Amino acid sequence: MERTFAKEVELLRRGDGEYFEGEGILAITKALLQSGVSYVGGYQGAPVSHLMDVLTSDSKGLMAELGVHTEVCANEAAAAAMLAASINYPIRGAVTWKSTVGTNVAADALSNVASAGVIGGSLIILGEDYGEGASIIQERTHAFAMKCSAWLMDPRPHHPRVVELIEKGFELSEASHTPVMVEFRIRACHVTGRFATKDNKPGEFSTNKKLEKPSFDLGRIALPPATYEQEKKKVEERFPAAIDFIRENKLNEVFPGKHDDVGIVCLGGLYNSVIRGLQQLGLADVFGNSEIPILCLNVTYPLVDDEIADFCATKRSVLIVEEGFPEYHEQAINALLRKADLNTEIVGKGVFPKAGEYQAEVMLRGLAGFIEGSVPKGIDLEPVSSAVADLDRNKETAAEMLGRPVPKRPPGFCTGCPERPVFSAIKLVQREEDIGEVHISADIGCHTFAALPPFGLGNTVTGYGLGLASSAGVAPHFNGRTISIMGDGGFWHNGLSSGISGAAYNEHDSVLVVMANGYSSATGQQHLPSTTAGGNIPSDTVMPIERAIKGLGVKWVRKQHTYRVGKMKKLLHEALTTSEKGLKVIIAEAECQIAKQRRLRPMVRKALDAGNRVVRTRFGVDEDTCTGDHSCIRLSGCPSLTVKANPDPLRKDPVAHVNNGCVGCGLCGEVADAAVLCPSFYKADVIQNPKGMDLFLDKWRKNVIGRLGGYANGAAANGAAAKGNGAAA
Amino acid sequence: MNAGTNGAEALPERTFTMVVGALGGEGGGVLTSWIVAAAESMGYPSQSTSIPGVAQRTGATTYYIEIYPVHHDRLEGRSPTMALYATPGNMDVVVTSELMEAGRALELGWVTPSRTTLISSSHRVYSILEKSAMGDGRVEVSDLVKTANHLARRPILIDMDRLAQANGTAINAVILGVIAGSGEVPIPAEAFEKAIEKTGVAVSANLRGFKAGFDHVRGDIPMPEEPPPVERRTPGNIDALLSRVDEAFPPETRQILQDGVRRAVDFQNLAYGGRYLDNAGKILAADKANGGAEKGFRLTIEGGRYLALWMTYEDIIRVASLKSRPERMERVRREVGAKAEEPVVVTEFLKPGFDEIASVLPPALGRALTQWKEKKPSRQNFHIAMRVKTNTVFGYVRLWGLAKMRFWRPHSYRFAEEWSEIETWLAALESAAGRSYDLASEIAELPNLRKGYSDTHRRGIGNYRKVFEELARPASSATGDAAGAVAALNAARTAALADPEGDALRTVLVAPPGEAPESQAQAAE
Repeated sequence: MERTFAKEVELLRRGDGEYFEGEGILAITKALLQSGVSYVGGYQGAPVSHLMDVLTSDSKGLMAELGVHTEVCANEAAAAAMLAASINYPIRGAVTWKSTVGTNVAADALSNVASAGVIGGSLIILGEDYGEGASIIQERTHAFAMKCSAWLMDPRPHHPRVVELIEKGFELSEASHTPVMVEFRIRACHVTGRFATKDNKPGEFSTNKKLEKPSFDLGRIALPPATYEQEKKKVEERFPAAIDFIRENKLNEVFPGKHDDVGIVCLGGLYNSVIRGLQQLGLADVFGNSEIPILCLNVTYPLVDDEIADFCATKRSVLIVEEGFPEYHEQAINALLRKADLNTEIVGKGVFPKAGEYQAEVMLRGLAGFIEGSVPKGIDLEPVSSAVADLDRNKETAAEMLGRPVPKRPPGFCTGCPERPVFSAIKLVQREEDIGEVHISADIGCHTFAALPPFGLGNTVTGYGLGLASSAGVAPHFNGRTISIMGDGGFWHNGLSSGISGAAYNEHDSVLVVMANGYSSATGQQHLPSTTAGGNIPSDTVMPIERAIKGLGVKWVRKQHTYRVGKMKKLLHEALTTSEKGLKVIIAEAECQIAKQRRLRPMVRKALDAGNRVVRTRFGVDEDTCTGDHSCIRLSGCPSLTVKANPDPLRKDPVAHVNNGCVGCGLCGEVADAAVLCPSFYKADVIQNPKGMDLFLDKWRKNVIGRLGGYANGAAANGAAAKGNGAAA
Repeated sequence: MNAGTNGAEALPERTFTMVVGALGGEGGGVLTSWIVAAAESMGYPSQSTSIPGVAQRTGATTYYIEIYPVHHDRLEGRSPTMALYATPGNMDVVVTSELMEAGRALELGWVTPSRTTLISSSHRVYSILEKSAMGDGRVEVSDLVKTANHLARRPILIDMDRLAQANGTAINAVILGVIAGSGEVPIPAEAFEKAIEKTGVAVSANLRGFKAGFDHVRGDIPMPEEPPPVERRTPGNIDALLSRVDEAFPPETRQILQDGVRRAVDFQNLAYGGRYLDNAGKILAADKANGGAEKGFRLTIEGGRYLALWMTYEDIIRVASLKSRPERMERVRREVGAKAEEPVVVTEFLKPGFDEIASVLPPALGRALTQWKEKKPSRQNFHIAMRVKTNTVFGYVRLWGLAKMRFWRPHSYRFAEEWSEIETWLAALESAAGRSYDLASEIAELPNLRKGYSDTHRRGIGNYRKVFEELARPASSATGDAAGAVAALNAARTAALADPEGDALRTVLVAPPGEAPESQAQAAE
């Protein structure tokens, strides 16, 4: 990372009598330190990256004081395996990742830890990336909790309650000898708020207070017959212990309301949305006091049967608010009411959609549907139905007046992104007659955006670091070679083992492009084993990708700077056509532009202020020679390469135009050159703080060129233009 | 609902809600953090959420903010429950950094007449789908502005991009200024300014942007004028030609034809301007003879437009001439934001191949070279890569020398080729006018397919010829109702601009005998 987190670290240091004001994910981090953790690990991914970023960068001093070990894990499986520390020792620890993709990767270790059981409190902070803005496949974490008997918390997004529930989570874990997952939706991680802080607590054992001797217990090993015993313990001891703890400590909350012949059971993470919906329907006030009783489940697995039965017993109808499919809670509650011989009507997926996030509008319509259907005693339905009718009318008016849907705005590569040129090259190589269209096994990372306009490159995406592995079945069924993509993030996460070693062992004859931009960029430019940070990492600690690949016996390995589109195209052509068998690997190298700019910008500013000579490079398009066919845009998609109204009164179509966002990466010129597009692109080197030699040269050039009728200087140029000359002769 | 307490002043019944729709990379996150920091500095409970997600770069991103404008101390330990999502029908202020995003907000139902202030920058940031169209893919925004004005309680549409550019700052600071200046947010301006100062990054530029937005929305300062475009060279004395336009052509057509004359003279010489008007006169005659007066002389206007563009085709002489002009360098300096004392070195990327060489040879030689080239596909890939530094003496002289070859142009291979096609096109247009005015108008616009350079140009010409030979020419000499032919030509023109590979065009054109029609599936791709 090229960012600093000094401000965040200051917040983490606050103690008794002080307040924390900030983002949810940082509040969670603070809660871990207040709970006395001895180790924290994880793998980055929105929305929990920030936790790892803060704990593993600028807070080293604070961690050393508290004796907390922090680990940047190679992947989520490694992170989950860290929890093993709590199996044998009374050590509290927490790990974090993005779910459900990360939980999928972690599943092996997670099952083993859950089966062995823990004696030290073990928390897994999950960034539940579900719904709007999610960058992954849409699934819920709930099934993981059920299948391995780990507990799942879903705290309502209110900072003081979140912090309290995390502290309680460690106690729950210890009381039931079970790891506890705590899920936070993407918005809850980014929500800002305030809570009263407590002093940080050092762990019982820590890097400052070491363990004395190892503990051995065959009963905690995943071997029969211990595994049978462990399964029994889950059911007979740990599950009941958890239920008791949840009930006694009131982890779930009941909020009473005056219309108590009906009620709402909601998952904690959805509580605020329920309240906002009720507010809009005139059924709750600004402080969240609701006229309909609510049971808020901050622990969503296991359910406390009698708690729910008690809530439902006095009600005609109860609404279950849970997202996604299948409707685990609705099914479980129906079953438990049946067992308790209660006839309360359960409403859920009938008024809510089966798939997708319950965004504000979905929530409003679902609540209105429930209330209109169940008609609580003494309720005035008018505000309920008019709220929905107003909404409908407003949207209809907008749709009618707009005339047509507003076009989508898909994301793409950043300005100056070093991965874009690789896809320009792939697009160009496919135009060659001996190549044609190529199957591309894509991967997870910024490079996945290549599937979107204007490139449309990538036939499948099957998981992080799995680009090459996912070509194994399809490559042999094509005449030509296939191309697989892998980022350096995916490479270190598992691509080296699952992809490259497998391909080398099975003698694959295909092409792999490793996008080596030096960071785990999509998650926020975290460092990787191969990161050089522009040469700022001591070279003896950098693990070069090239050596790792060659170490597995791959012979055809080439490195290429990505911005050289022509060379990249040639190299791809060679890899796709060479008679050499085996895996062909192209390491496409160039630093992530976001990280690079973050590092360079302050340096440039400093140099300029000091009066040093700095050359600023920018690209542009000549509006006079551009004919407005936009081929350049289709081969680049750079955000700073855009269009503007044609200044030529005769031409109707807009001309291409480079705006001020240009960072001078040079791709547009390279593409124009490699694809032989057009002569309209130019590169301009602006010499800032020019020195004597620059000024002398400039003056001499202007003098000669001016005599030939060209550019003399700013003032004279307009004069020359106005004067006209013998052009018509 | 009454949330009031026994205090002297009743508490607000709901939180203040605001959503910011921005594009990835525009600083929407920083804008949100300024607002939240300002609310916190007032001691107001507040919260913000964001959805950067996969939309982190250039895609649409939203930030949602709630503020309860009452100091913590007055709440006696209670805290308002705040939502995490922007809710339709429940928004006080909707902010968008770009006009199409305002349309998205309207579509989502965020803007309601009883309550919502819509603050949007009126400039456009084109999406990739708009930019990558082969013609003009830009979305029409007049309906959008109308809807905004109709649905917002208070619409505030200001070109904040221009305010930002004029003040040398980022757009997020200007937006914050407009938000503060609108008076629609329960936070005083000083609190926002302090939030900017506290961030400690580019403080003076951000404060400048804030002030510009603040002052402008309050009517204290006008919108900065855009600098006038760099004046183009007037090609010699063309008064006689311009008066000829005034005398011989109807008023509706004069603007286009005078622009055309200027362009033709600039391309070659006064005589060439005369030649342009001779041919435009032929189009006018056909136009007049077929009731053009009632149609606003559409045929002469569009025919005159494309005749001028075709006659001034982009060969290397033309490109060298355009690139070596003094006003061009002035424009470049302005576009890249070079200060007066800063030298600029401009590098051109030129890559002429056999086509470009053949185009300036005498017809016989040029034709021979072209035929030789076409014998082997690989010869198409021969190019001379040239990086020319236009404002070094050596670089400039090369372009200057090429531009001076203009005198030779009328004797070149390409000149002969282009003129032979222009004349065929004119003849078809004239003959079509007798059959159907609409048919002739379609044919008039057909040369718009001839765009670009190199491969793009070859494809464009190929498309033009296909449509011209298969549809336009046969239709122009046929008789009877032309409605079918007009529709077919229009469809073909649209299809030719639909995708660069020409897949859509192939499905629209009737397949020539012996060639199977392409499947729809391929075309859709």
